[in-house]
Amino acid sequence: MTEVSIEKLTKTFGSARAVDGISVRIANGEFISLLGPSGCGKTTTLKMIAGFEDVSGGAIRFDGQDVVNVPAEKRDIGMVFQNYALFPHMTVEQNLAFGLEMRKVAKPEMRSRISRVLEMVQLTGYAERYPRQLSGGQQQRVALGRALVIEPKILLLDEPLANLDAKLREEMRVFIRDLQRRVGITTVYVTHDQAEAMTMSDRVVVMFGGRIAQIGVPADIYERPENLDVAQFVGQVNLVKGTVREGGSDGRCAVETTFGVIEVHSARMHAPGTAVTLTLRPEAIELGAPGKGAKGTVLSSYYSGSLIDYRIELEGGDIIHTQAFPHNRFADKERVGVYAPADRFWLLGAAA
Amino acid sequence: MSRKVLTVYCLLVYAFLLAPILVVVGASFNAGSFLTFPPQGLSLRWYVTFFNNEVFMRAIRTSLWVAAVSTVISTLIGTAAALYYVQHAGRGKEAIRIAMLSPLLLPEVLTAISLLFFVYSVGIGTQTMFAMIVGHVLITLPFVFINVSASLETFDPAWDMAARSLGAGRFTRFRRIMLPLIKPGVIGGALFAFIISFDIFTISFMLKGIGTSTLPIQLFDYLRTNFTPEAAAVSTVSIVLTLVVVIVSEKVLGLRIHRF
Repeated sequence: MTEVSIEKLTKTFGSARAVDGISVRIANGEFISLLGPSGCGKTTTLKMIAGFEDVSGGAIRFDGQDVVNVPAEKRDIGMVFQNYALFPHMTVEQNLAFGLEMRKVAKPEMRSRISRVLEMVQLTGYAERYPRQLSGGQQQRVALGRALVIEPKILLLDEPLANLDAKLREEMRVFIRDLQRRVGITTVYVTHDQAEAMTMSDRVVVMFGGRIAQIGVPADIYERPENLDVAQFVGQVNLVKGTVREGGSDGRCAVETTFGVIEVHSARMHAPGTAVTLTLRPEAIELGAPGKGAKGTVLSSYYSGSLIDYRIELEGGDIIHTQAFPHNRFADKERVGVYAPADRFWLLGAAA
Repeated sequence: MSRKVLTVYCLLVYAFLLAPILVVVGASFNAGSFLTFPPQGLSLRWYVTFFNNEVFMRAIRTSLWVAAVSTVISTLIGTAAALYYVQHAGRGKEAIRIAMLSPLLLPEVLTAISLLFFVYSVGIGTQTMFAMIVGHVLITLPFVFINVSASLETFDPAWDMAARSLGAGRFTRFRRIMLPLIKPGVIGGALFAFIISFDIFTISFMLKGIGTSTLPIQLFDYLRTNFTPEAAAVSTVSIVLTLVVVIVSEKVLGLRIHRF
């Protein structure tokens, strides 16, 4: 069981800074996701933790010990790769045994550990199969088993679900999450899929351009994004322009918007009259008969089974997106009341 | 209809490729005294003559020895070169490839003459087998290089990383992961090297020392003054030898590629 501490970690390729001085502390047994678009430095960070990429600056500590100069094969990590990277010339059992052989584990113990892990990844009876005889999901579970059977200090996963189809991906999310909880291993998970990061992680690290944009529990990231990039990356968002009416020194701030005066949280003082932007998630919006909330007109709607997406033009010309359950249907051009509870608005830059 | 045409076409290609071999093999069982086809009666007498011919026997031993030694050297150098080429060569990659393949682009006779000049100017000469083996390695190296680099291109670097994360050092990773996975390429390259070395004429002719004729040279010498079916027997034996090498290594070492 290991606590990982990353301090001012930097990676430069020539003059480009792929990872630019990031710091994160990962608690013992925590599941943390590095989330961001491709090229944001998340995979490079993972590779530096694993030891596959040299560090240009900063420190990586496992339980306080700097491992920057420890080669990958001595770091005692378990890693799952995007394409699984199972050894094709070895059976499932041989794949699982490889790491144990490297650790000179005695034969009887090896056998019992392998069968325990096979049971854990629900592949009992597949020991003699070759990777090519398994489905994508099964191969993924072998890869997970191979990484866990050595009982490593930390588990690293590099977009492990990217090659699976949508349905299997959702099953595997739950599977990996449950397994991680049961084993209680410190885990770093790299993904560009925000839903994956949200559903699996204890905390999410959102990265852009080699830097950390925000670290927080999934609800913080989604409901209280620190800036526009984060807000937009983790889901659809409406931007509501407003003007500060009253700055408030008590951490509150009243903002005048098309939805009326909204009182939002803000750690920073804002002078009255300052132009600010509030975020509002599409599913936070309720549509109803005109009268409640702002006035709007339905522009178009998209039916997707469980939900209907509406595009609504507000009085004043702003266009917002909403998501609603299909029990109330609105026709195009229909006039509606657009309402959202005050606590679903979020002032960007509030934390600064 | 078109299927029939295709079948006939294939048969013609096979005939074109195999007829000369069949003629040679057939002629080797000749009972007569001259190299003719169809044979005049069946007999093994020319095989008996061949196996009792000390000059030919020595040539065949020389050929096998030279082929074996140059195959081992070629395989070691060619595999190492391919490893560097695929995994480490940065900007110079294309230059390395052309350099490695250049013996194929140069006419063999030019390679032979330059080597001859070289070995005499540095004082090695052709008294030993050294010069000939260098020539054979030079000619066979590209075949090993091509085969091994092709199989290395399909080697996923993630396998190496996975083995590293599991605690395997450099040597263990090479022995347990990379070598088994590129084995078909290495063995295929070595087989090419062996068969080609066994068949090389020009290089051997220029660089051989006294009394170290290889089989192709001895055969050429023989045919200049004789025209007996013994020549066909020699050829047949060398065809069989080559086939045996291919089949045995396929069975013992395995040429099958791992399917993914």
